[in-house]
Amino acid sequence: MTRLLLAALACALLVAPFVLSSFWVHIAVKVLAFALYASSFNLLLGYGGMLSFGHAAYFAMGGYACALLIARADAPILLALAAAPLLSAALAGAIGYFCVRRSGIYFAMLTFAFQMLLYTIALKAIGLTNGDDGVTGVRPSGLLSDAVDYYYFTLAIVATALVLLYRLVNSPFGFTLRALRNNPRRVEYVGVPVRLHQWVTFVVAGGFAGLAGGLYALSIGSVFPNWLNWTESATPVVMAVLGGLHTFAGPIVGAAVYVVLETVISGQTEYWHIFMGAIILFLILVLPEGLTGTPRLRRRMLALIGR
Amino acid sequence: MTDAPVLLVEGLQKRFGGLQALGGVDLAVQPREIRAIIGPNGAGKSTFFNTLTGLLQPDAGRVLFEGRDITGRPPHILTRLGIARTFQITSIFPDLTVLQNVQVALAGYRGETWRMWRPAARSGVERSNSMLELVGLAQQGGRPAGTLAHGDQKRLELAIALAGEPRLLLLDEPTAGMTAQERLEAINLVHRVAVELGLTVVFTEHDMAVVFAVATRICVLHQGRLLADGTPEEVRADRQVQEVYLGDSLEADGAEP
Repeated sequence: MTRLLLAALACALLVAPFVLSSFWVHIAVKVLAFALYASSFNLLLGYGGMLSFGHAAYFAMGGYACALLIARADAPILLALAAAPLLSAALAGAIGYFCVRRSGIYFAMLTFAFQMLLYTIALKAIGLTNGDDGVTGVRPSGLLSDAVDYYYFTLAIVATALVLLYRLVNSPFGFTLRALRNNPRRVEYVGVPVRLHQWVTFVVAGGFAGLAGGLYALSIGSVFPNWLNWTESATPVVMAVLGGLHTFAGPIVGAAVYVVLETVISGQTEYWHIFMGAIILFLILVLPEGLTGTPRLRRRMLALIGR
Repeated sequence: MTDAPVLLVEGLQKRFGGLQALGGVDLAVQPREIRAIIGPNGAGKSTFFNTLTGLLQPDAGRVLFEGRDITGRPPHILTRLGIARTFQITSIFPDLTVLQNVQVALAGYRGETWRMWRPAARSGVERSNSMLELVGLAQQGGRPAGTLAHGDQKRLELAIALAGEPRLLLLDEPTAGMTAQERLEAINLVHRVAVELGLTVVFTEHDMAVVFAVATRICVLHQGRLLADGTPEEVRADRQVQEVYLGDSLEADGAEP
């Protein structure tokens, strides 16, 4: 069943550019980037039980790293894109060093504070970041300048990254992470240096978020300080919760639904935030375990609509 | 008693603000002993346990495990050295299956938790299953651990503790929250396993029936100090112990605090 679903999904993703308009191909790239972003976030929350309100920092760091390397240093796109996750991971390493010393709301606030710090830097370090104007005009040239080609490129990278993440969450490391979410003290008493594990998780999550940010920055050709604004803190949280925290597919589905809804509704009305909020509220209320919640829950839903 | 002690505690002190929770405790536990630590509520049993196992830093004193100074070392180091513990409030991983609980523990003990590529489902299955068999949970491996009955969760915690082949097992109230019948079953399981694996066991306990059923030696803690330390017969006969604690508790046998 899962295999069949995956095969169908792969086919759909491969033929998508042939059936979608160029506008929707562009949106599909956004879906892919945010699917990776939300999945990287869920490594922290869904698996590790660490609620970060500053994950946008690493997504934005990836975006800025990529854009600045191209705009300022004329770096080749592949190099810029390779640098994005590495620099984001390094940033996560530095910030995470402090954050994993706290848990719960204090962890969340610390991650958030660092994101706001970076927001200020992005705004004020005008010489480097152009401040409010952002870094623009960094669309890939040459082979990847075509939107469809860039879609396939993004698809290949995101698919590879998701396979890596999937292996990770199902490895002994991933199971230790789930155990940590349940009971950090017990994990310490089976011989695991808990804080170090949390830090490594933070770094890995930051790295994948950076890759996603780099991919997205290249797709829209720009990056802006508002990527770091506090309103962006909730984006990966909502995507992950919407799709379901306790499945691997959850954040991916959540990101897709979120991006598509946002695109459709914001094209219809200026007040799209209201509708978006209402829909998300509704979905989370009827499906507390997310769109990919437990089969039992899905059955209950089917029963509810009279089947 | 010619062997070197597995656990040697010298002058252990712990103070919380104005309260002297541990006022210099000395203790030597020999190999394969099953040592009970008893005492009324507030006697310092939990503090003693938590100070031994790196959860609390002692203010003074030393703890030696097999001759090695382990005073104040963090829990994961103590665990790797061969000390396992359980908690008064059952401490397992409720979202994982029963088998996965033991697998994670085993990965921890073996230092395999950094493996990020190999599927965890295949790691240590055989040994984990044999641990479950040892505590009588072999049939429950696929169940989410959170759905187990309380007594079975305690068994699972024991399996988690045993997975790393510890030489010293520290059990904080292993029968807490159980019925009188379950308590004896639980402590007999501990006893059987300890004998089978040649473990040294130190446990705290309220229930005197449980204590006298298995303990080879008993320490009585009172107001942060050791009031008595001897064989069950010696402790039972100790007048001081009878005065402050035991007589009282023997009459109220089995009553939970």
